[in-house]
Amino acid sequence: MSKKYLTRYGDNYLEEMTEAEIRQDIEDGTLDAADRAQIPAMTSDDMDHLFEIISNPQKIVSVEPGNEVVVTFDAGTLKLCVRSDIPMDRLTACVTQERALGSDSIELCHVDYSYKPIKPIISEERQTMEQVQLMTTIPVLYGAMPNLGLYTKPDGPCGNWAELLPAGKIAEAKEAQEEAVQHSIKDIVFVASSMIESGADGINLDTVGASGDADVKASLEAVRIIKQKYPTTGIEMGMAGEFNLGMHGELTFDGEILAGMYPHQQVRMAEQAGVDIFGLVVNTNSSQSLAWNLARSVTLAKETVKVAKIPVHANVGMGVGGIPLSIIPAADAVSRVDKALVEIAGLDGL
Amino acid sequence: MSKEDIIRDAIESMHKGNEKLAIEAMERAIAEGLDPVEILADGFSAGIREVGDLFSRGTVFLPQLMMTADVMQKVSALVDKEIASRGLTAEKKGVMVIATVQADVHDIGKGIVASLVKTQGIEVIDLGRDVPVETIIERAEEHKADIIGTSALLTTTLNEQKKLEEMLKSEGLRDKYKTMVGGAPATQRWADRIGADAYAEDAGEAVVKALALLGH
Repeated sequence: MSKKYLTRYGDNYLEEMTEAEIRQDIEDGTLDAADRAQIPAMTSDDMDHLFEIISNPQKIVSVEPGNEVVVTFDAGTLKLCVRSDIPMDRLTACVTQERALGSDSIELCHVDYSYKPIKPIISEERQTMEQVQLMTTIPVLYGAMPNLGLYTKPDGPCGNWAELLPAGKIAEAKEAQEEAVQHSIKDIVFVASSMIESGADGINLDTVGASGDADVKASLEAVRIIKQKYPTTGIEMGMAGEFNLGMHGELTFDGEILAGMYPHQQVRMAEQAGVDIFGLVVNTNSSQSLAWNLARSVTLAKETVKVAKIPVHANVGMGVGGIPLSIIPAADAVSRVDKALVEIAGLDGL
Repeated sequence: MSKEDIIRDAIESMHKGNEKLAIEAMERAIAEGLDPVEILADGFSAGIREVGDLFSRGTVFLPQLMMTADVMQKVSALVDKEIASRGLTAEKKGVMVIATVQADVHDIGKGIVASLVKTQGIEVIDLGRDVPVETIIERAEEHKADIIGTSALLTTTLNEQKKLEEMLKSEGLRDKYKTMVGGAPATQRWADRIGADAYAEDAGEAVVKALALLGH
C-alpha cells in the first residue's frame, strides 16, 4: 500500500494523499494556470521542490535562514480588533502588530474599508495616523478598497451595472461604470492626500478589481495622480483576483485593455501608474487540493516576479494564494504556501 | 446546408453574440425540417456553455456573456413559436428559485448563473441577495419550484445553506425540491455534508447540474 501524506483541501479539509496523487495535482494545477494565463508551467525541478514542501512531515515549515522576506499586513487594524474580537483600539493594534507580531509594516484602516466612506471622517483618520506615527517605528500605510460598488444606486449616484447588465442594458452599464471611475479617482486622491499630509508612510489600495475592470482603471488613474503629487510616498496595490473581471470590457490604461489581465500583466500596468509594491492575488479553489492550488499560485507568481521591476508581495490571506478558504486557515497549509511562494516563485514579501 | 453546418453556425453565433447569425441558423434548421429542439441543445446550448467557460477564464467579458444570453433567449422564443405552430406545447423543463443567502450581498455570480440557466428552458425566479431562508421557502412554494439554488460567497454565510436543508426537513418539504449550492466556499463535500442534491462550481456547471436534476 502506498505511503500517504497528510495534506489539505482548499476548504481546509484534512486529507491523506499518496505521492502519485499529490504529484498529479501539482502537474494539473500548474498546467491549468499556464493555460489560463498563457505563461510557462512549472519546471520538473520546481514541481519536485513543491512536492517536498507539501509532503514535509513537519507540521510547520519555513525558509532557510537568510531567505526571510518582509511581512506586511493589509487591513492590519481590523484583524485583531474586529476579526479576532480582541477589545483594543487601532493604535494598540498597530503597536501590537509591530512589537508582538513582528510586522515589517502595517496598514492603518477604518472598519468601512473603502475610500468613499472615509471622506466624512477624514479628520478622525488623520488624528489617528498622527498618533500611530508617534508610537511606531515601522512604516505605517493608510489603506482601503476602491470599492466602486459604493457609487451605485441607492448608495451612490451611478446606475448599478450588476443589475443593468443582466437586463441587457449594456451601454447604460458601461456608462455607469465610467461615471463611477471618475467619482472613485477623486475620493482616492482626496483621502490619500490627506493621510500623506498627516504622516502616512505610504498608501495601500486593497482588493483592486473587486468591482471589475472599472475598479482597476480608477485605482491606476488615482495612483498616477497621487504619485505626481507625492513622488516619494510609497504606494502598494493589492489585487482582488487573479484576473481583471471584465464588467465593462473596453476600459484601457495607457492604451491597453484592462479586462482579462492576469498578474504578470497587471504588474506592468501597476508599474506604469507608479505603484511601488504589487500585491499579487491567486484565487484558491475550495474543491481542489493544496497541491493543486499551490501549484497554480506558484506558476502565476513566478512569471509575475520574472517580469516585474517592482517588488511583488503575495496576498496570503484566507482563500487566496493557495491558502484554504476557511475562517481560520490551518497553520500547516499557511506555512507551506508561504515557503513555496518565497522559495520557488521568488516573491519579495508576504 | 447540412445539420452539422447549422450547428457550427449556431455555436459561432453564441461566441459572437450575433443575433442575426443565430436567428438565420435556426430559421434554416426549421426550413430544412430539422428538429429545432435538437439544434437548440447541440448548437446554441453547447455554444453558450463554451462562452460561459471562456468568461470564467477571463477571455470573454460580462457584457458579451450577457449579450449572448440575450440572443439565446430570442432563439428559444423562435423555437417555442415553431413548436406551437406544430400544435405542440414547448417543454418547460422546470422552475428554479435562486437567491444569495441572508447576510450576503454578493450577487454577480448568482446573477450569471440565473441568466445562463434561463437560456436552457428553465424558468428562473431570482430572489436577489441577502434573502432569509424563510423567504426562499415561501417563494419556492408560491412558484411551485422544482429546484432551489442558493449562493454564499462568505464562510460566515455558508451556514445558511445548511439552515435551508434543515428547515425544509422540519417543515416536511424536503422531498418536494431538489437543492443546489454554490459560491466560493461551497464544495461537493459541503453539499454532501448538509444533504444538498447538487453543487456547482461555476455558471456552466450550474446549467449542467440543473438540467441533470430535472432529468435532462
